[in-house]
Amino acid sequence: MAVAVSVRNVKKTYHGSPSIDALKNISFDIHHNEFFTLLGPSGCGKTTLLRLIAGFEDLTAGKLHLFEQNISHLPPEKRPVNTVFQHYALFPHMTIIENVAFGLRRLGKTENEANTAAEKMLELVHLDDFATRMPKQLSGGQQQRVALARALAPQPKVLLLDEPLSALDLKLRQNMRLELKRLQRETGITFVFVTHDQEEALAMSDRIAVMSAGKVQQIAKPDEIYETPANRFVADFIGDANFYDASIVKSENDVTTYQIGNGVHLKGPLRPNMPDNAKVTLFVRPEKISIINFSTLELVSGEIKDIVYLGSSTDYQIELNSSLSIVVRNENQQNGLAIAKPGDKVSLRIDPTSIRILESENS
Amino acid sequence: MINKIKQYVGIMPAIFVIGFFMFIPILIIVTYSLLEANPYGGVNWNLTTEAYTKILYERDLFDEISFNSAYLVIIFRSIWIALITVILCLVAGFPVAYYIAIQPPSRRNFLILLITVPFWTNLLIRTYSWILVLRDTGLVNNSLQVFGITDTPVKLLYTEGAIALGLIYTYIPFMILPIYASLERLDVKLIEASRDLYATRWITLRKIILPLSMPGIVAGSILVFIPALGAFIAPELLGGGQKLMLGSLVQLQFSSARNWPFGSALAVIILIVVMLALMLYARNAHKNNSEGTIH
Ligand SMILES: Nc1ncnc2c1ncn2[C@@H]1O[C@H](COP(=O)(O)OP(=O)(O)OP(=O)(O)O)[C@@H](O)[C@H]1O
Ligand SMILES: [Mg+2]
Repeated sequence: MAVAVSVRNVKKTYHGSPSIDALKNISFDIHHNEFFTLLGPSGCGKTTLLRLIAGFEDLTAGKLHLFEQNISHLPPEKRPVNTVFQHYALFPHMTIIENVAFGLRRLGKTENEANTAAEKMLELVHLDDFATRMPKQLSGGQQQRVALARALAPQPKVLLLDEPLSALDLKLRQNMRLELKRLQRETGITFVFVTHDQEEALAMSDRIAVMSAGKVQQIAKPDEIYETPANRFVADFIGDANFYDASIVKSENDVTTYQIGNGVHLKGPLRPNMPDNAKVTLFVRPEKISIINFSTLELVSGEIKDIVYLGSSTDYQIELNSSLSIVVRNENQQNGLAIAKPGDKVSLRIDPTSIRILESENS
Repeated sequence: MINKIKQYVGIMPAIFVIGFFMFIPILIIVTYSLLEANPYGGVNWNLTTEAYTKILYERDLFDEISFNSAYLVIIFRSIWIALITVILCLVAGFPVAYYIAIQPPSRRNFLILLITVPFWTNLLIRTYSWILVLRDTGLVNNSLQVFGITDTPVKLLYTEGAIALGLIYTYIPFMILPIYASLERLDVKLIEASRDLYATRWITLRKIILPLSMPGIVAGSILVFIPALGAFIAPELLGGGQKLMLGSLVQLQFSSARNWPFGSALAVIILIVVMLALMLYARNAHKNNSEGTIH
C-alpha cells in the first residue's frame, strides 16, 4: 500500500518560557486513500502535527515525506496538501466562488478553468446556488462546506482537517460526518482528520492514532482500538471501562482466575509468558456484562447502588464489596423498564473472553 | 415624550461641539470669501466674487482681467505634494504597521507608544531640527563630504523634497496607526489559508492582506492628506517660503497681504478638495459595509 504521509522521528518544541515539547519523537505512516484520524485529549499535539504537515510550523527534529517526497522544509505553498480550518478561515472579501477558485488560480489555471472547476466543487457540496454570495451571508454549516470545497478544489494529495465539525450543532455534525465520508470516497483523497471526539473518530476513520501528551499511544482500526486498546490510557480515553488491579490465582485450560479484591474473583484469558502471581490490570467494557438473577452459583454478585438512565441504555452501578464496584450497561428493552432497582441483589455474567489484560502500568 | 426630550438633551453636547467648532467657523469663512477686501485688513460688507476671480485671473492697472496661473500652480503644487506625502507615508508606514502587528501583544503596545514619541515635543522645534540636518553645513552634507561622496554641499534644504520630507515626518504616525488597527484585527488563519492554497508571501500580501487592510489604508491616507494639504510649518521652514504652498499662501493673505476674502476663498478651496476626498472615502466605506450585510 502506498504511503501518503510518512512521519519519522518528528519532534516539535515551542520555545519560550517555559518551552513546551508538543510532540516527542513521533513516527508512523498514513496510507494512500485512507481516512486517518488523530484523536486525543486537548493539548496532546494533534493540531501541532497537522500544522507541521501543512507547513505552518517548522520541525524541531525528524522528517516528513509526502508520497516519497521530502517536504520537511518546504513552505506551505509548495506542499500539495490543503487544510480545512476549524473556523473555516474563508476570505471575507471574496465571493464563495472566488474563495473556492483561489487555490486553482494560484496553480496557474485561467479564470475560466478555475471557475468551472470551482462550480463543480460547489455542486459536490450542494452549494451551487451560493456561488456569488459573500461568506458572511452563509450559515456556519454552509461555510463549513465552502471551506471543504475550497480545500478540495486544487485536488491535493492529502487533505488536512482540524476539528472541522466542532463548531456545528449535533444534528448538523452527524450529517457532516456522512458527507465527509462520502467526499473522501468520491475524491479518493487521503484525509487526515483531527478530533477530540471519540465517537466521531470511531464512526468515520479507517484508522485512528490515539495521542496523549505529545506521543502516539496506539494506531489501529476503530474496532481494534475499542476492543483491544494497547494500554490503560487508550482504554480509558475511548469508551467507558471498569479497571481492576488483579493478581493471578490459578490458570487452567486457557482460562485464568484473577483476584480483583477481597474475595472477588474474575475469570479471564491467560496472558502469555506471565509469571505466577504477577500483577496485572484487567478491564472490561460495561456493555459486555449481563445482569442476571441473584445466584450463589455465579462467580460475581453484588448489590445495585445506582441507576443512570441514558436513553438507549441504562448504567447500573453495582457494589461487589465494600471497596469494589462495577458499572454494567444494559440496552433498554422495548418496554423501557429498568431490569432492576437500587438495593437489588444481582449476579453478573462476564464472558472470560471479554476481559482484557493491560500492562500493569505505563503511560 | 420624556424619553424624546432626554434623547435631545443627550445629543446636545454633540450638536453644540459640531455647531460651535465646525459649522460657525465654516460659515464665517464662506461669508468672508464673498466680501470685499479692506486694504487695512478685515472686510467691507459688500457682496462680490472678486476673491474667487483672483484665483484664476489678475486685474491690471486698467481694470482689465487676464488669466493668471500663479495661484493655480500653488494649489496644484500643494495637492501634488500632499499626494506624494500620502503615497510615501503609505509605502514607509505600511511595513512598519505590519511589523508591529505581527509582534507579540505585549511588544505591540510598546512599539505603538514609540510611534507617538515625536508628539511629545513641539512640532516647530522638531522642524527646526530638520533644518540643522538638511542645511548645507548640516549633518547630511557634512557626512557626505567627510566620507568623500561629494565635494560641495548638495542642496537639500528649501526644496520640494525637503517639504515632502518634513510632511512625511510629521504625518506618518497618522498613517501607521489606522493601518496597524486594521492589520491587528486581521485573522492570521486567513494568511495561513492563503499560503496553504499555493499563494506565495507576495501574492498573499496583494490578495489577502492589502484588501483586508484597505479601510485602514484609506483612513490613514485621508488623515495624512488633509493636514498635509493645508500644512504651514514644514513648507515655511523647510521650503523657505520659496516654493509657496496653500497653507503659507492663506497665512500671507491674513497677514502682510491684508486680503482676508482671498485668504478665505483659498480656505474654501482647501475645504472643497478635502470634501471631495472624504466623499471618495465614504463611497469606499459604503461599498465595504454593504459587502458584509445579508441582502
Ligand atoms: N504557538 C504555540 N506556542 C507555544 N505553545 C504552543 C503553541 N501551539 C501549541 N502549543 C502547545 O503545544 C501543545 C500542543 O498543542 P496543540 O494545539 O497541538 O494541541 P491539540 O491536541 O490540538 O489540542 P486541542 O484539542 O485543544 O486543539 C499544548 O501544550 C499547547 O499549549
Ligand atoms: Mg487543536
